[in-house]
Amino acid sequence: MALSKLQLRIVQSPVLRYGLAGASFGVALGLALLAQRYGFRNVEVPLFLFAVAVTTWYAGPGPAALVVVLSIAFFDYFFTEPRYTFFVTSSDIPYFIVFISFALLVARFSAVRRRVEAQLLQARDKLEIEVAERTQQASLLNLTHDSIFVRNMDFLITYWNLGARELYGWAAEDAIGKHSHELLQTVFPAPVEDIHAELLRTGRWAGELKRTTAQGTTVVVAARYALRRDEQARPVAILETSNDITQRKRREEEIQRLNQELSKRSMELEATNKELEAFAYSISHDLRAPLRHMAGYTELLQKKASSALDEKCNHYILMMLDSAKRMGNLIDDLLAFSRIGRAETQKTLFSLTQLVREALSEVRQDADGRNIAWKVGSLPDFYGDRSMLRLVLVNLISNAIKFTRTRTQAEIEIGCADGNSDDLVVFVRDNGVGFDMKYVNKLFGVFQRLHDSDAFEGTGIGLATVQRIIHRHGGKVWAEGVVNGGATFYFSAPNPRGHLWKP
Amino acid sequence: METMNKLGRILLVEDDPKDVELTLTALEEYNLANEVIVARDGEEALEYLYSRGKFKTRSSDNPAVVLLDLKLPKVDGLEVLKQIKSEEKLRMMPVVVLTSSKEEKDMVASYKLGVSAYVVKPVDFHEFVNAIKELGVFWAVINEPPPGSVRK
Repeated sequence: MALSKLQLRIVQSPVLRYGLAGASFGVALGLALLAQRYGFRNVEVPLFLFAVAVTTWYAGPGPAALVVVLSIAFFDYFFTEPRYTFFVTSSDIPYFIVFISFALLVARFSAVRRRVEAQLLQARDKLEIEVAERTQQASLLNLTHDSIFVRNMDFLITYWNLGARELYGWAAEDAIGKHSHELLQTVFPAPVEDIHAELLRTGRWAGELKRTTAQGTTVVVAARYALRRDEQARPVAILETSNDITQRKRREEEIQRLNQELSKRSMELEATNKELEAFAYSISHDLRAPLRHMAGYTELLQKKASSALDEKCNHYILMMLDSAKRMGNLIDDLLAFSRIGRAETQKTLFSLTQLVREALSEVRQDADGRNIAWKVGSLPDFYGDRSMLRLVLVNLISNAIKFTRTRTQAEIEIGCADGNSDDLVVFVRDNGVGFDMKYVNKLFGVFQRLHDSDAFEGTGIGLATVQRIIHRHGGKVWAEGVVNGGATFYFSAPNPRGHLWKP
Repeated sequence: METMNKLGRILLVEDDPKDVELTLTALEEYNLANEVIVARDGEEALEYLYSRGKFKTRSSDNPAVVLLDLKLPKVDGLEVLKQIKSEEKLRMMPVVVLTSSKEEKDMVASYKLGVSAYVVKPVDFHEFVNAIKELGVFWAVINEPPPGSVRK
């Protein structure tokens, strides 16, 4: 490129061009005169022609014309008869024609040469630009993390980028010229003929391939084929872009495996639930029947024989009836408890204030004849299963009534404690017999009781039921108590996302 | 007795002999047991209602009420109920489910099939006797049965 610029400048500078014309003509004239002086004949014409040729070739038409005119003039002056005049004879004319023709001929050659030279230069420049672009593209292809390689229709690799080297472990010099699928031990997701047919039909194909790297490890790649055709639309090469999805694949498989396990577990759970349901049903039916019979016959016995029996025997009968009744209550409570675990929760947004009112009216008869100071604070709206929450409140409030029985002035408070922004906390507080914090963990267990049943009756399922319901609502239950200093039961639940309209 | 003359016939469908005995005792206590037919399983109950088998020669009128246990051998209570309610001749006859089970799905299924009442047998005998008495008095004495039922 630099050379062609230099040549263009010589040709285009007028000073140099005419200088060259003057110089070549001067040299030719000098040499001709010198030859004439020493008696050499007929050298002047070739010398002048040489000057014309040099000037025409290198300096272009203007200086060439000048040299032709000068050559004709001085040839006429020095070398044709009559000498030392510019007088032209007919014998001079052929010389003049020779000079002019020669100049035209050389000019013509020169023009052709120049054109060819220009074309050559142009072609070379184009080539250089293309080479630069290609080099840049190739280095760009090397920048990508995707593996890119090109193979011809015989599956021989012709291009191999850095990404391919990183992914498959083969260097470009090892890979180029090799059969791609042999080198990479490709495992296809479909018959190879089908893939090839699709590639030829649509020009592209995409799918997951399993390959083996130079290190012998297996990789899963997401590959995309693109078919390259020549001007005659004949397929010539296949460009393959692929990236490593081994990790993703592994994770997908792991997720799939976990999902399968999960569905298996939930099926097992469902089966267990069904069994439990059958079990509960059986308890409710088969366990109650003999119990009812025991109670029934005992009562009949009591009716028929009580007058004949002594006080002790009558007491035994009473105890039998009492136990049967208690067993019946236990079964009922246990069934209710198991039903809570199985029942679907039907959640709605409702007013806790209203629900507390309902719960209070439900337990009113427990409080008959008692002196209880009720204190109900302002309560929030609650999102949950209304009937289950009602059971929670009834349980907690009837507990409070029960365990304040020994107080002449019972105090029961129902309110809302400060929770955080995510949870609301509701409590039921009493000034009853309380409990020892040592046993706080036993409070919510099934059949766990902290008081003997003579003092406070109950089956020991109420608080377990409360806990189960609250857990099903995503909340927690806990309690604080002091022996003979009252107890507070708390439950939390996620704050409802909305609010009820309040008149 | 005045009430005796008005007593309707009761079909008691109950497999447990002790329950049968206790139920009959409870009905006896209030003189309601003079017209009780006992079927020991669902099939026998259907034989009676359709006058088949050993009940081929029974009088053609329907009982004033059927006291039906749900858990029965051979044909269970819900199936008996279903057949009663799909039979033109029987569907108007009152049927009371008398069962040990408080299972909601049984209750729902029974009411869906058109049962007249659903009674859970109380464990306490006193309550049991009361329940049976009230049932007997209501269905066999107070309630006016549909045409085609026997009433002495």
